[in-house]
Amino acid sequence: MLATEDLRVTYGNILALGGVSLRIEEREIVSVIGPNGAGKSSLLNAIAGVVPVASGSIEFEGQAIAGTAPEDLVRRGISLVPEGRHIFGGLTVAENIRIGAVARRDRGAIDGDVDRVLAMFPVLRERLRQPAGKLSGGEQQMLAIGRALLARPRLLLIDEPSLGLAPLVVSEVYRAVADLRAEGVTILIVEQSATRALEAADRTYVLASGSIVMAGGAAELRAEEGFEDAYFGYKARDP
Amino acid sequence: MTFVLQNIVDAISLGALYALTALGIGLIFGIMRLINFAHGELIMLGAYALFFTFGMHEAIMGLVAMALVIATAIVMERVAFRPLRRANPATLLIASFALAYFLQHLVLLIFGARPKSVTFLHELSGFFVVEGLRIPKLQVVTIAITIVLLVGLVVFFRRSSIGTQMRAAAEDFGMARLVGVRANSVIAIAFLLSGVLAGIISLLYVVQTGTLTPRMGVSLVLVAFVATVIGGMGSLVGAAVGGLVVGVLTVALQAVLTVELRPYRDAFVFAVLIGFLLVRPQGLLRGRSARERI
Repeated sequence: MLATEDLRVTYGNILALGGVSLRIEEREIVSVIGPNGAGKSSLLNAIAGVVPVASGSIEFEGQAIAGTAPEDLVRRGISLVPEGRHIFGGLTVAENIRIGAVARRDRGAIDGDVDRVLAMFPVLRERLRQPAGKLSGGEQQMLAIGRALLARPRLLLIDEPSLGLAPLVVSEVYRAVADLRAEGVTILIVEQSATRALEAADRTYVLASGSIVMAGGAAELRAEEGFEDAYFGYKARDP
Repeated sequence: MTFVLQNIVDAISLGALYALTALGIGLIFGIMRLINFAHGELIMLGAYALFFTFGMHEAIMGLVAMALVIATAIVMERVAFRPLRRANPATLLIASFALAYFLQHLVLLIFGARPKSVTFLHELSGFFVVEGLRIPKLQVVTIAITIVLLVGLVVFFRRSSIGTQMRAAAEDFGMARLVGVRANSVIAIAFLLSGVLAGIISLLYVVQTGTLTPRMGVSLVLVAFVATVIGGMGSLVGAAVGGLVVGVLTVALQAVLTVELRPYRDAFVFAVLIGFLLVRPQGLLRGRSARERI
């Protein structure tokens, strides 16, 4: 469904991604883990069109999408839940959910999708009229995912969903991720905390200093020598 | 008593004019972080359009002026600001100055530097007399139009889809694009709305003063800019309130100052504003878009 080939992202002279090639098949949950500064967010932002691609290619459903604007990628079926959630704090919870559907043309189906999001995250239902800025971190994360779902993405990119959340809330977020796959959404999750991401995903890529250093299923990776090192970033410092 | 009431009406109508100008500036700032100093030239162009079409039916004069101002606002965005959208706010600000000077000198070239005068909607220069109070019709109209526009804008931003999209974009433009809000559309609509506001101010301004110069927009936009700062950058309600406050302050000083000091009224206005900003630099209402993100 998605394939990147030798993808590079630079900020000025700083190399954020140094040639990343990965593939995601339809209905897979794939996670990318790695230490802070490994380039995980850059990877998702490049796929979502937020940051420019320096070189390499991104293919989505067989078409090159590098350089496409984010608002157009949403229309093609790619949604990003960014790190820090970025909910619109001055808009109500209901407005935040509904704005996720601006790219859609099938106006009639939107109400049903709003109901599905509220069924998935019942805490949001009680707060529909409140400004979203008043929600707790966990509620904001659910809202950010719900908002992304209103675009009916075929590929959902989620950046650090567990960051700053209590373990119980993290479980709820990951339960939602599992439900989404059952509905046919393909998911790419980026996490710094490896355990959850490893368990939830079919396959995991380990990213360090802008390159993929390891890939495989949870069991494979755990068995692999040097996994811990790579994860904690020691390997990255070796030339 | 009459004196006080008279001044209150004066204050509100001047404040309304400032509020509308400040809203036009605040709208663009909220979305683009651009302080568009060329907004004053939109107002000036509208006034010259009335001068140019003078003699035609007044409805046509008004429509031509509105159309010219709105079209200029949209073209301004497309030609001058869109190519700079990724530039930093300082570059955008300089571009807006350049545009302002360009438009001033264009008008100077065509119409010359001498002030022009034009009569428009002369019937509004009369008074309503209520209980010995002489209220200029124009002030009543100005206040009424301002209220209608404010209510209209609130309904637009709260109820319409594109209005919600604009609020979202004003808060977090990058995220708005990620959910599918089209950057070009919301910015173009923001300029269109700022053009509508500027056009209406053109009409009201010409009815009031009847004189026009190529630089007539400069002081108005400066005052309106101050009003947006007072109100809180990035807050539309703040911009409207700020405009009202500056208008009220101006009229109050006009009434309170002695005859010798009156020529320096604006110096007093700005002194009060500087004092205010020292105490409350974030403005009366802090705009959400000006807040740090967590």
